[in-house]
Amino acid sequence: MLSGGRLGATGTATGITVSIARDPALVRTVRLVAAAVARRATGDEDFVEEVRLAVGEACALLVGTDGDLTGDAGPVLVQMMIDRRLRVVVTAAGAVADHDAPTSDIDGVEPWALLRGLLEDFEITRDAAVTTLTLSWPL
Amino acid sequence: MDLSLETRQEDGHTIIEVGGEIDVYTAPKLRDKITELVGNGEYNLVIDMEKVDFLDSTGLGVLVGGLKKVRAHDGSMRLICNQERLLKIFRITGLAKVFAIHGSQADALAER
Repeated sequence: MLSGGRLGATGTATGITVSIARDPALVRTVRLVAAAVARRATGDEDFVEEVRLAVGEACALLVGTDGDLTGDAGPVLVQMMIDRRLRVVVTAAGAVADHDAPTSDIDGVEPWALLRGLLEDFEITRDAAVTTLTLSWPL
Repeated sequence: MDLSLETRQEDGHTIIEVGGEIDVYTAPKLRDKITELVGNGEYNLVIDMEKVDFLDSTGLGVLVGGLKKVRAHDGSMRLICNQERLLKIFRITGLAKVFAIHGSQADALAER
């Protein structure tokens, strides 16, 4: 599902919402949309690349692999808004693990290290049923 | 873009030339290739990432997992990467200090 708001008019609320099933193959689609949104906000290709990486990373963490996520299966919702800042909110039901399993191949890679390193403005919010990642960049 | 993997032997090492995107979808393919090579007794690996367009933490995890596998057999894993956007990812995650990252296949193979 892809729904668009008013794109491109500087200073107006701009929003796009993408909802994907928890299929790792679909994360690339979200990255492409995020890059397009970032490119509309600025012509800086380094910034576009950073947004593509960060949004893809956030989405991948919530899509999960091999049962990383617990709780009810459901879509991953990605909302992108431009209003002086580029703000991306990624939401999914369930809780994502803070740490890798000791036997995991990704043991040694702290799952949030990349996002925390990429962004100054990054928040993780969890309640009983939903995990929300909020990413924000000044424009 | 999908992930492409080509392997060849050179100077006692197995070079894996990786192309495309290493992400949550494609990383298992790289993990399986590394597992297959180690299972075949190939413990000195060189991962050439010059044609990699995208790398996320899932891909990093596969590389870390591969490094652990070869080290368990006293082997080595060297990376070839010149792309600043990828090198930045290794630096941010602290993995630039974990991996031997070289600028070319010649440099990677020259290390003793």
